[in-house]
Amino acid sequence: MTQSFTSLPQELQLTTSAHVKYIQSLDSRKDEYDYWLTEHLRLNGLYWGLTALHLLGHPEALPRAETIDFVLSCQHENGGFGAAPGHDAHMLSTVSAVQILAMVDAFDDLETRGRGKAQVGKYIASLQNRQTGTFAGDEWGEEDTRFLYGAFNALSLLGLLHLVDVDKAVDHIAACANFDGGYGVSPGAESHSGQIFTCVAALTIAGRKELIDVDRLGRWLSERQIAGGGLNGRPEKKEDVCYSWWVLSSLEMIGKTHWIDKEKLTSFILSSQDTDKGGISDRPGDMVDVWHTCFGIAGLSLLDYPGLEPVDEVYCMPKSTIKRVLGR
Amino acid sequence: MPPKGKAATKPKATETTTTSNPTTTNTTSQTASQPSEPTTVLERSQQRFEKTRPFEAARRQQGLSRLSKEDQKGWICDQLLHLTNRLPAASRSCLLGPKASKEIWWTVNGTNSIVRGLKHKPEPYTTWGTDRNGHDVGSYTIERFDERFRKRIALTALQVSSRVFRENVEREKRGFVDARSGREIIVTEREIDEEKVRRSKMAALKKDLYGAITGKLAESVEWEDVVPIPHEEPEGALAAITYPAEYAEAMSYLRAVMTTKEYSPRCLRLTEHIIAMNPAHYTVWLYRAANIFALDLSIPDEIEWLNEVALANLKNYQIWHHRHLLVEHYYPTISSDPDALAQFAKQERDFLIAILSEDTKNYHVWSYRSWLVGKLGMWEDEEELKSIEKMIDEDVRNNSAWSHRFVLVFSNPKYATPGKAATEKDEKVPQELVDREVKYAQNKVYLAPQNQSPWNYMRGVLVKGGQPLASVQGFVEEFVNKLGEGEEEEEVKSTHALDLLAEIYAEKKENEKADLCLRRLAEKWDKIRGGYWEWRRKCLTQSETEKAPGEQVEKAEEGIAAA
Repeated sequence: MTQSFTSLPQELQLTTSAHVKYIQSLDSRKDEYDYWLTEHLRLNGLYWGLTALHLLGHPEALPRAETIDFVLSCQHENGGFGAAPGHDAHMLSTVSAVQILAMVDAFDDLETRGRGKAQVGKYIASLQNRQTGTFAGDEWGEEDTRFLYGAFNALSLLGLLHLVDVDKAVDHIAACANFDGGYGVSPGAESHSGQIFTCVAALTIAGRKELIDVDRLGRWLSERQIAGGGLNGRPEKKEDVCYSWWVLSSLEMIGKTHWIDKEKLTSFILSSQDTDKGGISDRPGDMVDVWHTCFGIAGLSLLDYPGLEPVDEVYCMPKSTIKRVLGR
Repeated sequence: MPPKGKAATKPKATETTTTSNPTTTNTTSQTASQPSEPTTVLERSQQRFEKTRPFEAARRQQGLSRLSKEDQKGWICDQLLHLTNRLPAASRSCLLGPKASKEIWWTVNGTNSIVRGLKHKPEPYTTWGTDRNGHDVGSYTIERFDERFRKRIALTALQVSSRVFRENVEREKRGFVDARSGREIIVTEREIDEEKVRRSKMAALKKDLYGAITGKLAESVEWEDVVPIPHEEPEGALAAITYPAEYAEAMSYLRAVMTTKEYSPRCLRLTEHIIAMNPAHYTVWLYRAANIFALDLSIPDEIEWLNEVALANLKNYQIWHHRHLLVEHYYPTISSDPDALAQFAKQERDFLIAILSEDTKNYHVWSYRSWLVGKLGMWEDEEELKSIEKMIDEDVRNNSAWSHRFVLVFSNPKYATPGKAATEKDEKVPQELVDREVKYAQNKVYLAPQNQSPWNYMRGVLVKGGQPLASVQGFVEEFVNKLGEGEEEEEVKSTHALDLLAEIYAEKKENEKADLCLRRLAEKWDKIRGGYWEWRRKCLTQSETEKAPGEQVEKAEEGIAAA
């Protein structure tokens, strides 16, 4: 499938080097107020930044050794990782840690210098509620389909998916399906693109895509595209670049990406860049951040934008990493 | 052993071979004339040094080799004096034999070296250090220096009193008995108040003198016994973090009490303090919940407090998980009392209405609301339904409200077969309910025909009720006019109507009509989803016996898309 990117205006191109510089500058912004307010996302932030760099073709832009050191310094005795050194272990940061280590090919370091893959797997598995199949974020039990997806993501990368009750978890996902074809954060909750991604990706990893009402879901997802070309998260909400990932990868997983207008979406993402200082924001004109930078670039990769590394739609990581780790 | 005449600080003016002061001096030295009045402490001490250590001062100025023989001798004695004076008396006598000692003291007396002289030459910065602005204290005027000195004395005095207080607290804890009165030591309210005052004075002085900021917690009497655990950051961290001082202090105390698993009123206050600074820090919320439960505090009171925090932090989701935990904990205490349940449901609803008026589509609030319906069994609650209807009246495009209505109506155990999928027909659903809900959705479509929510809703209801889509054909056709009769003639008030119409025709096997709808959608009315409409058209051309989804169709789709 070819896209005519030459039809895009001259000024609407991906400013790769600016984005690389932006991501590199992130860990030096210690004096910014926002920085310490988001310390509970520090490890996740590293995953977003690193993924973007890999997809941009600049994996070396963050120092590998320091990256590994930092990730391992967040690990606890129980195998789980906190969002930053000294922070309690949590599912989301654990998943980010595994993804980062996979990307920089450091599972060996995890064995020799960290607590080892088995311990990480054990921690993740301990967060599953064996009655309902859902996963909690930490010992306190906030349950969310994001954690379920995270668990499947990390465990499959570690080759330890068998540690959890996959079938029960799948049953729970099925219970989160809604009348409009979408999925919510928990049974009965409103369909939401982010939650849809987590449910569909989890079902894909579990090999249970047959449970998805593909036509209905695809239809609902295609409706996320609004006139400006961007995608929103729910009906009648504003478009947001991060949905370029959640919606698009979901469509990719069910084989329906041609149900939206790809060129318009590409335009939208590119218009949301800060071409001078680098980074991508949620929509044109707003402040950039690393989250939207990651998902904007991942979206562009899914849209086959030239010069980007192919992204895996299930894991939101470079296809080359998934090939190396999972052999497919 | 120094001879008894040691007390002589007065010069012996009559001696001739040696003079009271070194002879070989520069004209620039202070000994030529009386030194001017010192303006700074440094100057004063420097003058004292010159005066009390004239030989050393001279040596520093000119170098030992340029001094006269007598002055050199004087200097050596001066050195020995100062060395030996620092030694304990016993070892002093061992350093030099009696004869050498005698000679030294004879020379010393002759030169009238002052025994008690300044040992070190006063230097800027090193002698007195710096004040809180980094300035050399030696540069202070005498008055200012004295004032500083008085403050230091005051601080020391306060520290002594504070230490007494802390010791009494410790003694009280251990049940000590006062030696004199024979009674158990008790720390009174008054003493605590006095200590609080003392602490703030100490903090103020420390800040004034040294620029040291004493954290509020470190200063407080309440947190006396806790040793805070500061944040450990590995050297050269890749994603290093710095914190404002107050937040860092509060977190270090939180770490300490979380480690010891303390649950107490002061811990509760600490969590509130931290939440005020950073409500997104999820650990502190969890610890707060633990405190509430351990201390068995009133859940309704906590919810009232939480309401304020929620209103101030609309995007925060920890707040809603916290509420979830509170309700889970509270529910067993009211579950057998229908009045209490009803009252709680009403209180919750009142707040939910209030907060949703600030942020009508807040996902966390709506998820909580959906969960609450199930938890408190609110399906038959007319007020809940009314409230949702009101929200839809205010904004017919609020998809969250529509989604909640579906949950409220169809997850009612009266009408829901357990285990049925959301898009599966359920026999338990009565026809009247289907009719009512379809009618409701249709009425709302009229308000904004292009609004997606009521169309999705209506379709969802029809599927749940197992009713053919064709049953609403008349309604749908109201929004589509003269399809295919030319660009000027065609009227489509809603693409969703056209979509549903296509589905209805397909259901009735009127494929040509269905194809027309879909073609017009792709060509004109909803071009952005062209790929989807083309796929639907392709599905139509599949024979009746072939089921549409499958590799064949997907390959065909990709063929179309690539074209």
